[in-house]
Amino acid sequence: MAGLTGVGASRTGGGMLGREARTQYAAMARMRWRIFVNGLRTIHGLLDLGATGIAWVLSSVYGLGLGVGLCAAAYSLASRASWQYLPILFWAVSILWLMFPVVVASFQEQSDLGTLLRFPVRFASYFLLHLISGLMDGSTIIGLLCCLGVWLGIAMARPDLYLWAALSLSVFAVFNILLVRAVFAWIDRWLAQRKTREILGLVFMLLVVSLLVINSVVNQKHYEGWKSHKEEAAPLRGALDKYAPLLKTANMVQQWLPPGLGARTLLGATEQKPVAEFASLSMLGVWAVLAGSALGGRLKAQYRGQNLSWAPSRDKPIGRGSGWTLCGSGPFAAIVEKELRSLMRTVPLLWAVSVPLLFVLVISGMFHPSSSSDVKSFPYVFPLCVAYALVGFTGLFYNSLGAEEAGIQLLFLSPTPIRTVLLSKNLVHSILFVFVGLAAGVLSCLRLGVPPFVVLAGTGAWLVFALLCNLAAGIIFSITMPYRINPGRITRPAGAQANTFPAVLIQLGVLGVGVLVFWLCWSLKTPWLPVPIFLALAAGALFVWLRILHYSDDNASQHRDALIATLMKAE
Amino acid sequence: MENPAIQTNGLTRRFGALAAVEDVTLSVAPGQFFGFLGPNGAGKSTTIKMLTGLLEPSAGTIEILGQRFGPESLELKRQMGVVPEGMALLGRLTAPEYLHYVGRMYGLDATTTNKRTEELLEFMQLAGEHRKLVTDFSHGMQKKLAMAAAVIHGPKVLFLDEPFEGVDAIAAGMLKNMLTGMMNRGATIFLTTHVLEIVERLCSHVAIISKGRLVACGSLDELRVGVASALPGTEQGQRFTLEEIFLAILGADGHRESTQELSWLA
Repeated sequence: MAGLTGVGASRTGGGMLGREARTQYAAMARMRWRIFVNGLRTIHGLLDLGATGIAWVLSSVYGLGLGVGLCAAAYSLASRASWQYLPILFWAVSILWLMFPVVVASFQEQSDLGTLLRFPVRFASYFLLHLISGLMDGSTIIGLLCCLGVWLGIAMARPDLYLWAALSLSVFAVFNILLVRAVFAWIDRWLAQRKTREILGLVFMLLVVSLLVINSVVNQKHYEGWKSHKEEAAPLRGALDKYAPLLKTANMVQQWLPPGLGARTLLGATEQKPVAEFASLSMLGVWAVLAGSALGGRLKAQYRGQNLSWAPSRDKPIGRGSGWTLCGSGPFAAIVEKELRSLMRTVPLLWAVSVPLLFVLVISGMFHPSSSSDVKSFPYVFPLCVAYALVGFTGLFYNSLGAEEAGIQLLFLSPTPIRTVLLSKNLVHSILFVFVGLAAGVLSCLRLGVPPFVVLAGTGAWLVFALLCNLAAGIIFSITMPYRINPGRITRPAGAQANTFPAVLIQLGVLGVGVLVFWLCWSLKTPWLPVPIFLALAAGALFVWLRILHYSDDNASQHRDALIATLMKAE
Repeated sequence: MENPAIQTNGLTRRFGALAAVEDVTLSVAPGQFFGFLGPNGAGKSTTIKMLTGLLEPSAGTIEILGQRFGPESLELKRQMGVVPEGMALLGRLTAPEYLHYVGRMYGLDATTTNKRTEELLEFMQLAGEHRKLVTDFSHGMQKKLAMAAAVIHGPKVLFLDEPFEGVDAIAAGMLKNMLTGMMNRGATIFLTTHVLEIVERLCSHVAIISKGRLVACGSLDELRVGVASALPGTEQGQRFTLEEIFLAILGADGHRESTQELSWLA
């Protein structure tokens, strides 16, 4: 044990790029590499790698598409010297950067760096490592490609501006990266405590209800307004005139915000006003520093050891019978009750379930009667809106055991068959899905009007088919490819890709079947035909689901070791 | 007079209205094997987290090896080894890979790290498991690996949170020998465990924490004298075991053994 005598650590300083820091970066890089290589030993690891690769490719393709579009728009604006519209592009990029994870209801994978605190790691290194880890997530790839597109468009139209455009867009990109990280870090901070999670869970539920209520009120007013505008025959111009002072004020304000400042830097360059250029760029830099400070403040607190999730349970006596209890006894009621309680405390899942409803508003807005299209001409927006509500249920259906953590052992220890557990979970998730599907349907109807009865019936039949397909596949995925859900973190857990990506493919397949059937029947002028087709498909799916449920005990026994290891052992 | 290896003054940690640790002042001399005891939820792990920089104190100060300890005390962190609660292992690494990672994070050069990794794996009887992922290790093997990681850089102060939990008797004996050897060479060891026999055998000094407050601190003999004087009917020369001391002190602090019977139990 010669190694145990004396401290052998080399004494080196030098800040975040000093020798010791570089050694630590190398050690972390090597550690990440070995985790990656070792992960390939398992099928789950290989799937995770494949899914991550495909997610990158898809993000890149999506980003390239947007980049090309923004390149064309920037080229058009720059070549026509319509610089006053340039902020719109910067705003679009910024909103996309921030909203992409929300829209896809999936957040970037973020390593937990809390374990580094026992090592002699400087704060600057800690900050840098936080920035680097998870940098290659979808929103960053897309955001950077969009910035690149804008830069290329401007540089092609006005080669003399390429340097300023590069500078402005670089600082703008840094600001967005820091802003997104800061937002995630603060959300994680708020989710660290169970009480906060419960409050946020309630907020999400209220959000869903509010969407329905507010939308109904706004929609009613809109219809009234729309009629009068029709009578006036110049609705848009009237609205613009009416809101002109407001728009002017908004434009004044946006000039001082990062997207506006990014555009103003280029405006200054075109007008040969170096002072204005520098001032705008400096202000943009100040915004980046502010975003960095918001992130730094949170990370500094973490570095000092502020970890609220370690709070021990309170000493306050909990009254007997406090809170609600579900009627009934036996394991079925117990699991349903436990599932509902856990769900209310797992904000990432509630978030994933609620967010698609926001997107339903976007989809329905695209086909709103106030736009050129009429609802009667495209009644299939309704099933589209309802189908989108399914997206948020990937985590619940396909990883239904993920929130069990060490409690998974109890499921194997108790005399309750796993199929009872899965059946109870399926029931809870199905009720929730019906609720969200109904909310999406009501939202869609409020925005677009009630579609024909055959579409309603067809959508209902498709939903039954889709639900049963997802439940059936979800049981297999939950047993064979689980990942542990951390209720206190909204960022994606490691290893989730292997489960999520094929699950999304299955969902797309089910959606594809729906689209195909609706389209065929529409083409054949038999709009009632989807109902029996979907019901027949649902009967087949029901049979498959029952068979899978029947064999789930055997399946779970075969995968017991891996299940327990994944959900409760070391990260 | 030599500086204490570990010194806390008024160490406090609050979580909202709850004081998990309150006004803990203690001193551990260099080369001392110090047992930190308490019932479940008393604040032991919270104290260790504060002492190792994993958790920020709400109030109070910490000094390690005579220097004020804070998150930026990198030089002190190099002198400290930790087996944290939950062990903080990386499941998808092998044992040599994990030790290599930890050694390099503490600033050891690659040659030294490799040499010590081999020695530690041999010593911990994990050398035959070099291809196995840590996640596939048994609980006891993970504990041994966590212990190896805590000492790979040769720390002067070692913080151990439940290091013997789930470790078999042979491995426990081996770990005890290693720790005793370290202490004999001048290392200070701060240990929390529920296994009172181990504390009684290894530790010269003990502190007991209850409901976040330090209720006893001193050498085992001092605690025995204290308990003997406090308990009525104690015979002259009666030697209390640590378990008796522990129960007596916690009893005085309001902890009671449950006498209730569960009629439905066979």
